Amino acid sequence: MAEDTNRPSEVDEPAGAPEEVAQDDPRDQEVTRRKFLITSVGAMSGAMAAAVAVPAIFYVAGPVKEQGSSDEWIRLGSASSVETGSKTLMKATVERRAGYLTTTEELSVFVSTDNGTDFLALSNICTHLGCRVRWVEEQDGFFCPCHNAVFGPDGSVLEGPPPRPLDRFDTKVEDGQIFIRKL
Amino acid sequence: MATKLGDWLNDRSGWRTIYGTVFLRKIPKINWAYTLGSATLFAMVIQIVTGILLTLYYVPDPQLAYASVTYITNELPFGWLIRGLHHWGASAMVLLVVLHMVRVIVYGAYKYPREFTWITGVALLLLTFAFGFTGYLLPWDQRAYWATVVGTKIGEVTPVFGDTIRALMLGGEEISGLTLSRFFGAHVWVLPSVLLLLVGIHLYLVIRNGITSVPKRGE
Repeated sequence: MAEDTNRPSEVDEPAGAPEEVAQDDPRDQEVTRRKFLITSVGAMSGAMAAAVAVPAIFYVAGPVKEQGSSDEWIRLGSASSVETGSKTLMKATVERRAGYLTTTEELSVFVSTDNGTDFLALSNICTHLGCRVRWVEEQDGFFCPCHNAVFGPDGSVLEGPPPRPLDRFDTKVEDGQIFIRKL
Repeated sequence: MATKLGDWLNDRSGWRTIYGTVFLRKIPKINWAYTLGSATLFAMVIQIVTGILLTLYYVPDPQLAYASVTYITNELPFGWLIRGLHHWGASAMVLLVVLHMVRVIVYGAYKYPREFTWITGVALLLLTFAFGFTGYLLPWDQRAYWATVVGTKIGEVTPVFGDTIRALMLGGEEISGLTLSRFFGAHVWVLPSVLLLLVGIHLYLVIRNGITSVPKRGE
């Protein structure tokens, strides 16, 4: 049954070479002209498909590892503008490149220092749903207006739904200017 | 294992009969010119695959179209290859489809009972040109812009409806973002839909009616 449907006999014989087919039928292991051609065409088709499919995978995955600009130092401003023992909101514009599009994004960072040399830079974006937190001096904490989250001065979660502390930046001071970098 | 799976599927779909009908059909003694139709089909498949890949990055926006094409060509891995295949494949397809038509004319293969195959073939030829014309604008460079100016001016010399035809092609009086988006829409949605339908009919007819043998002297 399987053998019959595998090779529909009424269309199997090429018009030109009936005697060749008659010879092949008893022994299937033999490499016939027909088998050779089917295999060659199959192999060539496979090679051609791969010639497009393999580059296509790299092409589709191209932009995945492109976002490499986040490890650069970003200048925030003068280190002397940070008051000791308080939180100073500093802003910087960052260029973000995604493929053929370059967009600018404003980055707001709370900077504080206890001794004027070591700086702590905290993102003002709530780790819960991305609302902007604000610093309330009297209560010594960051407050998120969206879901009443409270963060401590070091960014740790004191109250509310945020899953993790406020994001920290790596900091350095060069020529009196504060620079930050994604940790 | 593979044979068993094939049998299982065959019991439920009869695919072996279809395979036999499509690939193992009897053909007369013919020559290499008879491969031009298959070659055109192959070029079409290349165009579809590379075209789909290009839409992953291309945007039909007058501000961004050129930048996105540059990005594809210069920055994406193998973007040059995908775009190159689509670019040259377009020319190859026009060439092959014309040669295919010439073969059909020369061998008289358009005659009874294949007139309808011929008619769908002519429609497919015109569709191929329409693909070429609409696709030419999409890189949104100077060549694309001026080619579209010329092409739509040709439409404009149509008697009576000339102005309307040009305005319909452009989506207004001048080439604009509207022209770009409607050419894009035509190129990737309208034309392919019609193309696949007609190719289906064309191939069905080729299989149903079989192919002509090379005509003998005096025929």
